[in-house]
Amino acid sequence: MFKKTLIGATAICLALASANAMADTKDKKIALSNNYAGNSWRQAMLKSWDKVTKQAVADGVVAAADPFTTSENQVTEQAAQIQNLILQGYNAIVVNAASPDALNGVIKQACDAGIVVVSFDGIVTEPCAWRVAVDFKAMGKSEIEYLKENMKDGGNLLEIRGLAGVSVDDAIHSGIEEGVKENSQFKIVGSVHGDWAQDVAQKAVAGILPSLPEVKAVVTQGGDGYGAAQAFKAAGRPTPLIIMGNREDELKWWKEQKDANGYRTMSVSIAPGVSTLAFWVAQMILDGQQVPKDLTVPFLRIDQDNLEKSLETTEKGGVANTEYSLEDAKKVVAGAK
Amino acid sequence: MNATMLRKLHQTPWIWSFVGAVAVWLATIAFTEGQGAGAIVTAALSFACFTVIVGTGQMLVITTGPGNVDLSIPATITLCGTVAMKVMNEQDSLLILGIVAALAAGAVVGALNYGLIRFLRIPPIIATLSMSFLVQSSAIAYNRGLRIKPPPALDAFTTGDTFGVPWIAILTVLFSVVVGIIVGRSYYGRAISAIGQNSRAAWLANIPVERFRFLTYVASAMLSAICGILLAGFSGGPALDMGSEYLLGSIAVVVIGGTSVAGGRASVPGIWGAALFMFLLVTMLNTFGASAGIRLVATGLIIIAVIAIAGGERESR
Repeated sequence: MFKKTLIGATAICLALASANAMADTKDKKIALSNNYAGNSWRQAMLKSWDKVTKQAVADGVVAAADPFTTSENQVTEQAAQIQNLILQGYNAIVVNAASPDALNGVIKQACDAGIVVVSFDGIVTEPCAWRVAVDFKAMGKSEIEYLKENMKDGGNLLEIRGLAGVSVDDAIHSGIEEGVKENSQFKIVGSVHGDWAQDVAQKAVAGILPSLPEVKAVVTQGGDGYGAAQAFKAAGRPTPLIIMGNREDELKWWKEQKDANGYRTMSVSIAPGVSTLAFWVAQMILDGQQVPKDLTVPFLRIDQDNLEKSLETTEKGGVANTEYSLEDAKKVVAGAK
Repeated sequence: MNATMLRKLHQTPWIWSFVGAVAVWLATIAFTEGQGAGAIVTAALSFACFTVIVGTGQMLVITTGPGNVDLSIPATITLCGTVAMKVMNEQDSLLILGIVAALAAGAVVGALNYGLIRFLRIPPIIATLSMSFLVQSSAIAYNRGLRIKPPPALDAFTTGDTFGVPWIAILTVLFSVVVGIIVGRSYYGRAISAIGQNSRAAWLANIPVERFRFLTYVASAMLSAICGILLAGFSGGPALDMGSEYLLGSIAVVVIGGTSVAGGRASVPGIWGAALFMFLLVTMLNTFGASAGIRLVATGLIIIAVIAIAGGERESR
């Protein structure tokens, strides 16, 4: 008798538990703390967040998923913003951080208040937070590996770096550097900072180009390929192989060259929709699932044969994007275990 | 003879910016053993234009007296470049309409800047900075950072050149000559110098102080608009961060060019020298293969050195 009751009670408990697991996060609130919105990549990132999280709220997966962006891209401002989010009672904060370590204090405060913190793109080093990171070093190295395959004789390279002092710039650069070290047929003859912006890259390349010998290829970090192409054209030099960074104007330029003379290159960057991956990761953690602290996002690569398809799905003047689903997030989590 | 030449040098602080520009150019081509000497000048002339145009606006504002500065230039460049490209919609037939729309947007920003300063009595540095947030947000809301290509005619014009001299450089030199005449000879030019030296004395001398300050802020914003249109044409479309390097840039060329930071004295040719100098300096350090850290430190030190040399002359007056 007692045994039967126990089994019955256990069954009821299990049933309740599974029902809870299904709807565990429906009254949870998630906030996005974003440090910057002043370029097309960030705009696409916010748009993806909006699209995916609105649907999630409508479906009753979570109660709220509000985005907040600071105006000045400053650590102090973002720290104050996160403090406000803690006071407002959010259950999870998804953060694209202005600095990898300067926000650690306030991130720790959030953790201590029982809030789940998931950082992505601009990740934080505070151990209590989760990190949805891109292996930027591998991304840089993949550019040299592509060149190795497609440019058997090697040659001179021009490197366009990003924003000086940002960790992402150092990571991509170190990958490129390592690739060049392993492949001595390539030599970097010039290096400039393009700040991930076409007009800045154009200016920097136009300045250094007259002093350079023949350049066979340009390795980039994204958002700078079209500016480099413009600078080569203005200087009246033959167009080298320029690695692109998934911006629509870059892809369109590549398509024009491909149609005109069979131009070959590849394009690699991270999808702005990575914000939605971070959202689902936060949702999974709130749901009580085991998620390792360090996750790696695959980068979005476009090659000669899927160029047309990518161009079709990319918004005019925007950046190639992909939004992630809960299933994608589960796959990334499973891959990290 | 020598003494008069020296005295002349004393009275023309802007000469140092040209000396600096030539020096860094020589250093660069010495390093490359003469390769690309002409092409570097062509590139410098193109890129200097944008800095010269906004620098001229900044110079007029700074000349109207201590505390006057326009920090809304970067945001205005972005907004007006975006407005122009969106209105033009990649069609040559809408070129004029786009230019008019961008200039109108610039004029509104300038008028609002002045309004904040005059009627709400906010110091210019705060007023124009807060205005820049409004303007930048408008630019984001207006087009969400999507890149619109310039119409073919604008693209061809902004990137065209004759014997290595860019067309926009020719146009900008003409513009500078006109501004030089206005600043040196016209009533307006003399009036803003007088206002900059002592606005109360200028007011007592019956100069319409407020009207001219209004005109100056509007002119600065409209020049930012022109810069935005040309820059968007030159670099294949507007971007949300296209103006960011012109915040410090516009102020630096004014100061290096020999305009008095305290107001009351403008120097138009100096802006050209300083804009060329700034571009060639970065080019030189890039050519030398200096790392970003060294480049930033060297840029800072060299700017300080140039200002110290040029400024030292002024102290003796």
